[in-house]
Formats: sequence, C-alpha cells, structure tokens
Amino acid sequence: MSNDLDNDLRAALRPVDPGERFTQSVLARVATESTRSARAPKLHTTTLRWTSVALAISLVMGIVVAHQWQVRRTQRGLEARQQLIQALQLTGEKLDLAYRVVNDEQPTQSAAEPGA
Amino acid sequence: MITANLNYPTRTVLARRVLLTLLPTLALLARLASAAPLAPLKLPDFESLTGKATQSVNITLDSNLLGLAASFLDSDKPEDAAAKELIAGLQGVYVRSFTFDRDFAYSMTDVDAVRRQLVAPGWQRLVGVRSGKEKANVDIYISVDAGRANGLAIISSEPRQLTIVNIVGSIDLQKLHKLEGKFGIPKLQLEEGK
Repeated sequence: MSNDLDNDLRAALRPVDPGERFTQSVLARVATESTRSARAPKLHTTTLRWTSVALAISLVMGIVVAHQWQVRRTQRGLEARQQLIQALQLTGEKLDLAYRVVNDEQPTQSAAEPGA
Repeated sequence: MITANLNYPTRTVLARRVLLTLLPTLALLARLASAAPLAPLKLPDFESLTGKATQSVNITLDSNLLGLAASFLDSDKPEDAAAKELIAGLQGVYVRSFTFDRDFAYSMTDVDAVRRQLVAPGWQRLVGVRSGKEKANVDIYISVDAGRANGLAIISSEPRQLTIVNIVGSIDLQKLHKLEGKFGIPKLQLEEGK
C-alpha cells in the first residue's frame, strides 16, 4: 500500500521535459526582461544628465543676464548721477549769475540815476 | 541784441529786493510743499543751436532717473547727502545749455517757444535781471499751485551761452545753497533763510 503510494507519487513527480517550445519561451522572456531592465536606468540617467545640463545652462545664462542688467543699471545710474551734478552746477551758476548781476549793477544804477 | 538796461534802474533795484526777500520765502514754501504734480516744460530740440554750439548739454532726468541717480549718491559723503536731500522732492530736472565760440550766435527767438509756456497763472516771473557789463539776461520763474511752489525755470542768456533749466517739484534753494562749493557749484550769494 505504502509502496503503491510512493510509486504513484514518484510517477507523478517524475522529471518531465517541458519541451523545446517552453524552453524557447522562457529564454525569450528572460532576454526581454533583461533588456528592459538594462535600458530603463540608461534612459533615466540620460534624461537626468540633460536636465542637469539644461539647468546649469539656464543658471549660467540667468547669472550672465543679471550681471549685464546690473552693469547697465550701474552705468545708467552713474550717468544719471553725473547729469544731476552737472544740472545742479548749471542751476547754481545761473542763480549765482543773477545775484552777481543784481549786486554789480546796483552801484552803477545808483550812479546813473541822477543823470537818467 | 542784448543791451544794458541802464535806463530802468528801479527795475534792478526791485529785482534785488525780490531776490533777497522772495527767495527765502520760496525756499520756505518749497520746503512745506507737497506740491501738486506739474508737467515739465516742452523744450524744443534746438537742433539749429546744437549745430552751431561748440558744447551742448542736454539733461533729461525724470523721476525714475532721479531715483536711480539718488541711489548712486553716497549718504556718508556730506556733499552727496546734501544733493540727495535736495532732490528728494523733485520729479524732474531738465537742462539745455549751449556754449558758442562767438558772441550771440543764437537768437532769442530760439527760446520763445519756452517763454510762451512761462505765463500766468501757472508761472510767475520771480526775477528778471539784465546786465550791461556782462551782457547777460537771467529770468527766474516759479510755478505756484495753491500757494505752493512746485517748479522752477531759469532762462539765462549770455553772449556765448544760452541755458534753460526746468526743475519740476519742490526745490529748496537753501538746500542748493548748502551745496555751494561742492561738485563745482559756485558760491551763491544767497542769504540764509531766516
């Protein structure tokens, strides 16, 4: 009885060749999986690399543009300062001229008055 | 041609009185002013004068540029601090100045377009001086709105120089006085406001 059961089990669990088709299928699947798993990280790395490059370029361009803007602003500011000083100088000169003329003319006017 | 105005002595005397009494008042008014906005004068391009002049100055500083200029003034330096304080109430500074290599290379009609804008009630001529010796004419106008000065215009014609200054905003002449001797600004004969 026990021997029969053993024999039945042994017969049921005996190694059976799955066949060439199964083997091919498994091998094909293994190949596909390995390709996919190898390709995915590579794609990810490439994207990451380009993203980093793009970010770096953007950063550098941003710094350059900001620097140029600052340089232009400084130039305009210094030019405006220079113009302001020149304007104040001219205004001061003309106000001074007005006072000088009034003061200088005063004695002349007084002297000229009797004869006028 | 500009001639000496020796036949009208009272005018010069009056001008002197006005200068000595009204300018401090103007300074006080300007100091108190939260002036109403005033449009700058429409200054012609003066192309013909630019061609004849040996030196031309064309300064246009609107409120933005004044703010920018102010940011480049160093508050730690007394002269810069004084200039900064002076321009604090200004909305614009416009200057046209032409220097020539011969006498009266310009015509007074060149500034007529400016003079036509300097009329009452907006503008009042504060001072008009005529020098026989220097053959110089200087007219100083102020713009007054609701009893407050909010603009200044100067037309100065000398034999070899024509200058037009338009300052928009409340300018304090006493503060300008503080700048005398700085930035090459001449010593003004202004009396301190009392």
